[in-house]
Amino acid sequence: MATTESIQKAYIDYVLTEGEQPKSVYLFAKKNKMPEEEFYRYFGSFDAIEQFIWADLAKRTLTEIRSQEVWGQYSAREKALSFFYAFFELLKGSRSFAVYSVKKQPKGFTTPVIFSELKTVFENFADEILTEGIESSELSDRKFFSKRYKDALWIQFGFVLHFWINDNSAGFEKTDEAIEKGVNVTFDLFQRSPIDNLFEYGKFLAQHGGLKETMGFGN
Amino acid sequence: MNKEQNSIPTSKVERSAKFVKTGFKVGGNYIKHYSKKLFNPELDRTELNEDNAADIYQSLSELKGSALKVAQMLSMDKNLLPKAYVDKFTQSQYNAPPLSGPLIVQTFKKYFGKSPEQIYDKFNIRSSNAASIGQVHQAELNGKKLAVKIQYPGVGDSISSDLKLVKPFAFRLLGMSEKELDVYMREVEERLLEETDYELEVRRSIEFSTACAKLDNVVFPTYYPELSGRRIITMDWLEGKHLREFLATNPSQEIRNQIGQALWDFYNYQQHELRAVHADPHPGNFMITAENKLGVIDFGCIKEMPDDFYYPFFSLTASNLLENKEETIKAFRKLEMIWKTDTPEQVEFYYNFYREMIILFAKPYMSSEFDFGPTDFFDQLYAVGEKLSKMPEFKTARGVKHFIYVNRTNFGLYNILHELQAKVKTDTYRPHVVDHIEMDVA
Repeated sequence: MATTESIQKAYIDYVLTEGEQPKSVYLFAKKNKMPEEEFYRYFGSFDAIEQFIWADLAKRTLTEIRSQEVWGQYSAREKALSFFYAFFELLKGSRSFAVYSVKKQPKGFTTPVIFSELKTVFENFADEILTEGIESSELSDRKFFSKRYKDALWIQFGFVLHFWINDNSAGFEKTDEAIEKGVNVTFDLFQRSPIDNLFEYGKFLAQHGGLKETMGFGN
Repeated sequence: MNKEQNSIPTSKVERSAKFVKTGFKVGGNYIKHYSKKLFNPELDRTELNEDNAADIYQSLSELKGSALKVAQMLSMDKNLLPKAYVDKFTQSQYNAPPLSGPLIVQTFKKYFGKSPEQIYDKFNIRSSNAASIGQVHQAELNGKKLAVKIQYPGVGDSISSDLKLVKPFAFRLLGMSEKELDVYMREVEERLLEETDYELEVRRSIEFSTACAKLDNVVFPTYYPELSGRRIITMDWLEGKHLREFLATNPSQEIRNQIGQALWDFYNYQQHELRAVHADPHPGNFMITAENKLGVIDFGCIKEMPDDFYYPFFSLTASNLLENKEETIKAFRKLEMIWKTDTPEQVEFYYNFYREMIILFAKPYMSSEFDFGPTDFFDQLYAVGEKLSKMPEFKTARGVKHFIYVNRTNFGLYNILHELQAKVKTDTYRPHVVDHIEMDVA
């Protein structure tokens, strides 16, 4: 009797040994001595397996970091950092698969289908901590933009993932640095900054007396 | 501090100044690298103002790692730098922006497979202070208060690349050839890289604190190798005040002398008995305990002194050797302060100059007691350095590589003792000297 785990395991083993997806579900099922419909009971396609694996990693990461004692004391920034560190720590255990899975994706700006479920998990998490951050005024609530914060984090995530794939430093220390620096910069942008003040000043000038006159060349 | 100041071997002062300069170039390079508009290399250093110092400090403290180390070295040799820099750089000994909590948890998971709260009974995720290439956290285990030092990731790599960055800049500014400079650069790189090896630091800390245990008024924390690793060191938390805080309490002369004596003994016992010395005497590495003892908290940088450096150098400072011109010249040759290619006039010139400097440097060793309080001794040292910096004879690098750290150590020690205004007995651990210098047949 096959299970989600056993199919995942067999699939990972296959792609890592052969370097490509099986030719068909029929062949894969036959090789693993199960009827084809057994496979479909768990997954609709091979990509669905990969989708599941990536999303599962994110869910396990969340369970782990939320169980840490310090979690409650963390700011939104630290929660994001914590997710990144723990995710890539966990991913180390499946590095070969991760490298295979990421590398076969076509280059482009759209999210590959295998990441779609992971993205949902990630965005739910991002929404949660960002809302928290905005409520505690750790982060700046900006019209239009604050809705896009989570996209910035997702882009950051994609960047670190690719960085990690190409990282060959001992213990992936460079990835740790990329996370520390990258996530901090992203959150610095989410915080209230001189740009906000500048924007508000501009707004003020526009509302009072007209910008042109105030600047001294309005004739 | 002008551009002519080019010779490493000339005097202790001069060598420190040189190192300061090299270090300064590191800083300069960073700033150039990170915010080009801040720093104009054509600009005379003395004209740089307070604002620049603030910017430099800002960049350095953000960069951490070796750059912060450089800032620390700079802040040690006061008076050699304009006051504006000193004030700013001195801050770096106590403050630097901290690592994020999650990165600390991550570091623990990586090296111990457990989070800090699983290892210690209590662990403060907010760091209590920065330690140049890492930061220190307070923890508690079995009722004991602990200090946990955590290293920033990637420090080792960045040291090597930082130094590579400095090199071309240094060639130009110091007017040294690549070959000449390489010897010194390698020495610095070697020491800096050693500092990133926390496993080595724990071994050495245990070794040195055991060897120095018999010294009066010097205390060391206990180290816990089982709770330490490549990026983490666990040791006892030493309660006490930093030097500056201690001085702010207006301690009596007697207490200042006691601390000064402890420092003197600590350094000279190591130099002359162990032949390896804690080569990082900046105030941030010491604590003054409530009982007015000297607490030593960092053994990251150890300089070992081989015999062929130790004997010629220290024999110059403490024996009749300096009155014997022939032997003195032999010692200078051995230390590569005088070269085989020098003409008789040059030999005479360097002999006279170096001799004058050594006499000055060795002053504390020449009597049984020395008062580091008065400024005139220091003024003389700086005056010689200043004079030297204007002499074309000292354009090329002279002196063996060991000078860099040995000078930094002794000069640093003198500076702290001066800051303490301490009067110390200087005959407690005297240098081992020889009357006759053996020359290699070469």
